[in-house]
Amino acid sequence: MGISNINTCKYFKDSFGSQKNIKVTTTDNKILWVPMDVENTDYIDVLAWVDAGNTIEEVD
Amino acid sequence: MSLVLNGTTGITNLPSINSGQLGGRRNIVYNGEMKVAQRSTSVTGLGATSGYFTLDRWFMFLQATAGRLTMAQVADGPAGFANCMKLTTTTADTSIAAGERLQLLQVFEGQDLQQLKKGTSSAEAVTVSFYVKANAAALYVCELLDSDGSRMNTQSFAVTTDWNRIELTFVGDTASAIVDDNTASLYLSIWLHGGATFTGGTFASNTWAASTEANRYAVANRTSIFDATSRTFFITGVQMELGSKATEFESRSFGEELALCQRYCFVMAPSTNASVAPAFARSTTVAFGIAELPVTMRATPSLAFSANNDFQVQFLGSVATSTAMAASPELHKNMIAFTATVSSGLTAGQGMYIRDLNGGATITAAAEL
Repeated sequence: MGISNINTCKYFKDSFGSQKNIKVTTTDNKILWVPMDVENTDYIDVLAWVDAGNTIEEVD
Repeated sequence: MSLVLNGTTGITNLPSINSGQLGGRRNIVYNGEMKVAQRSTSVTGLGATSGYFTLDRWFMFLQATAGRLTMAQVADGPAGFANCMKLTTTTADTSIAAGERLQLLQVFEGQDLQQLKKGTSSAEAVTVSFYVKANAAALYVCELLDSDGSRMNTQSFAVTTDWNRIELTFVGDTASAIVDDNTASLYLSIWLHGGATFTGGTFASNTWAASTEANRYAVANRTSIFDATSRTFFITGVQMELGSKATEFESRSFGEELALCQRYCFVMAPSTNASVAPAFARSTTVAFGIAELPVTMRATPSLAFSANNDFQVQFLGSVATSTAMAASPELHKNMIAFTATVSSGLTAGQGMYIRDLNGGATITAAAEL
C-alpha cells in the first residue's frame, strides 16, 4: 500500500557509502527516497513498477 | 440481587460487565480516536491517487474515480470524543466506471493478530465498532480481508445524521492461518464507493469466503460517497477486539497513540531555527546528518523532505542554506541518515548541525504496511 503513482526511479549512492537507495519521483512531482529493503512497501511498489516494464535509472 | 462467585458456575447475577473500560490493549486498531495526524490535519482534492494523507494509519484507497474529496481531522464527535475524521465530497462522480473504488482502511501486521486463532478450530470472533454520522442517510460496507489467505468477510451498516455506534461481530474463521510476521495480513476497510468490478456479484453478510472482487461492495441499496457534493462522512471511536461483544471504547493517551503510530510513520517537524540533527561535513559542500528515531520502525523507512531551502547548516558561527536534501542509504529501523548539500564553505570533518530555517522543515520517515 505504498506509492501508486511512480513516474521515475533512479538509484542513488552517496559519495562515501557503498550501499544504494532509490530516488522515486511521483507523477505529482513528489520525491521519495526508498531503501532497498523487501519489507518496505514502497520498495515492493518499485519492484512491481519494474515488473511492469519500467527501468530504474543508474547512478550518475 | 447480589453478585455470586461460585467455583463451579463462575460469576452469576452479573447483568453487565460493560459499564466502563475493562482493561488496556483490547483495541487492535491504531488511532481509532482520530487523535494523531502527523502528516497533515486536512488535505483537499483527494481522488487521483491512494495514500496516507492525514490521520495516522488511515489509508485512502482511491482508484480511477473522477470524484474528489477533502479528508480532515475535525473537532467533532459523540460524547467523550474530541476528534473525528471527516470526509467531504467536493467533486461528484455519478458516472461510475467498473474499476472505481474508495476504501478507508487500516492494515495490520500478522504478528499482532495471532490471538485471533484464525485458521484453527477455536478461531475467535472479532467485533468491530465505531461511531459514524453523515449529512444524510447512507449505507456502506465494513470488510475484513485476510491477505495471507485471500479470504474476506463483509457486513453493511447504516449511517444517519446523528452519531450512532455501529457494532459488527464477525464470526471466527477456521480456515487459513495468519502468517506470524511483520507484513500485512489483515485489512479493515470501510467501503464508500465502488464500480461494477466490486458490486457486480453477490453480497454475503458475515460469512468468510474466498476473496471475490465482485462481492466486496455488492450490498443492495449501497451509497456512493461521490453521488453528490453535499455528501459527508464522519467516523471516530474505531475499535476491533476479540469476542462477540463490543465493549466500551478503549481510550489511549496521546503519547501512547503517537508512539504506536510512529512504528509506521514519524514526522520530524521542528520549529523555526530548531535543530533537526547533528552533522559533520563530508566535503566542502555536503553535510551528513543522523537522527535517532523515537520508536523502532516496522521496516527500514522511506524518507521524504520538505523543500531543500527549509533546511540550514550551521557551523563555526556561520550558516548555509541547503540546496539539496537526500536520504543516505545508511539508515535503518532505528536511525535515519541524510545529507544536506550547500554551495560552499564547509571543511571536511568539521562538526555542525542542521536546523529548520523557516519553520517549514519536515522529514517524513515511513514504514507503512
